[in-house]
Amino acid sequence: MRVSGTQAPNHKDDAALIARIRAGDQSAMADLYDRYAGVVYGVALRVLASTTAAEDVVQEVFLQLWRNPQAFNSDRGRLAPWLAVIARNRAIDLLRKRPPEDDIDVMPISTGVNLEDEASQRLVVDKVRGVLVELPQDQRKALEMAFFEGMTHTEIASKTGEPLGTVKTRIRTGLLALRKVLA
Amino acid sequence: MSVHPQFAEALALYAMGTLDDPQDLAALQAHLSRCGDCRRELEALRADMALLALSAVGPQPPARSRERLLGAVAAEPRMERVTQKPFVVGRLRPRWLSITPIAVMLMLAVFSLLLWRDLRNTRRTLRHTHAQLEQTLDELKRTNAELAEATMVRDLLHAPDAWPLTLVSKKTPPQPQIKTVYSKQQGALLLMASNLTPLPENKIYQLWLLPADGSAPMPAGWFKPDGKGNGMMFHKMSAGVIAKGFAVTIEPAGGSQTPTMPIVMEPAG
Repeated sequence: MRVSGTQAPNHKDDAALIARIRAGDQSAMADLYDRYAGVVYGVALRVLASTTAAEDVVQEVFLQLWRNPQAFNSDRGRLAPWLAVIARNRAIDLLRKRPPEDDIDVMPISTGVNLEDEASQRLVVDKVRGVLVELPQDQRKALEMAFFEGMTHTEIASKTGEPLGTVKTRIRTGLLALRKVLA
Repeated sequence: MSVHPQFAEALALYAMGTLDDPQDLAALQAHLSRCGDCRRELEALRADMALLALSAVGPQPPARSRERLLGAVAAEPRMERVTQKPFVVGRLRPRWLSITPIAVMLMLAVFSLLLWRDLRNTRRTLRHTHAQLEQTLDELKRTNAELAEATMVRDLLHAPDAWPLTLVSKKTPPQPQIKTVYSKQQGALLLMASNLTPLPENKIYQLWLLPADGSAPMPAGWFKPDGKGNGMMFHKMSAGVIAKGFAVTIEPAGGSQTPTMPIVMEPAG
């Protein structure tokens, strides 16, 4: 995973970067882009399967952070996972043709996973991909349909023919499987 | 972390923004508002989502994307936010919720305006009612005074010792006339005048009680007749004074303590 040129940012870097953005430093947005454009773009492209649409998500997510940097609280999480979830949600909105929100979500994300450096991040991504491969196909499919396609459990059940309860259980246990392996 | 099992699966759907049942959504949001453990589990589920999202990282955006963003940042004036958006625990937040506070504020504003108008009208009505009440009380006082005076007149006229006496002018027609009714027990006197000579502005007619014991005349009230020379007067004085007669003089406005000669009216005969 590439989230920066040579070295992945750490927690202090995130806080300093957000402080500069809050102060109106436009060069901080260049640094932000250099560090995290890959995260936002990769997630959006995975959801939308369109480079143009994924670029639009990059613009939207970063501009909204520029407009409202208070939305991210560096005391309650890291920028990389936060931006990844924000990008996924924006992409799902586009995919589902939902009107975009006027503002960016204030959404604390607590993760104990080490993302401090690029090597750690690469390790995490490899593990996640490994967990996904090892998940039962039906479970992985339900999880991906919910996460990367934004389908509700009702829609998934309708499409797969599985009972609603089964779909719910598969989605949750799929997420917990990621947490368990990476704990 | 202990998650309430009845919300465990809904919590995962909620984290992803795919919990579409309104009842489940409302129940979960109500629960989250009071359950710290489930809120922490929600944060952990988002972290799981983040890991899932990071699994898609790899492709890089084209170079033009960077220039496009920085151009947009440079072109957009920075708007400082002084307040932070309220804590949001999930994504499936209906858009109408974002306008709800505005709608509530507008409704409150309209409601306040209506209340203010009602209050203003009520105050106006209260002031009007208060003025009417004061006017009614004044009228009641006047009526009571008139009733009391009428009662005294009636009592005087029916008093066993009531002494009717007619005073006439010494001169011939038109014959000025004054009639008095006096009760020594009540110390009350009623006077009715007719055909009196009009007086200058600064003069009045004053009645004098002539005590039976021969002492000095006592002031018994004064009056000023109307344009036709008619007048009426009710006068209260000390009770028990025996009168041998009455006389009328012309005095300065406001009355005198001693009569100013000549006597213009006196008992007939």
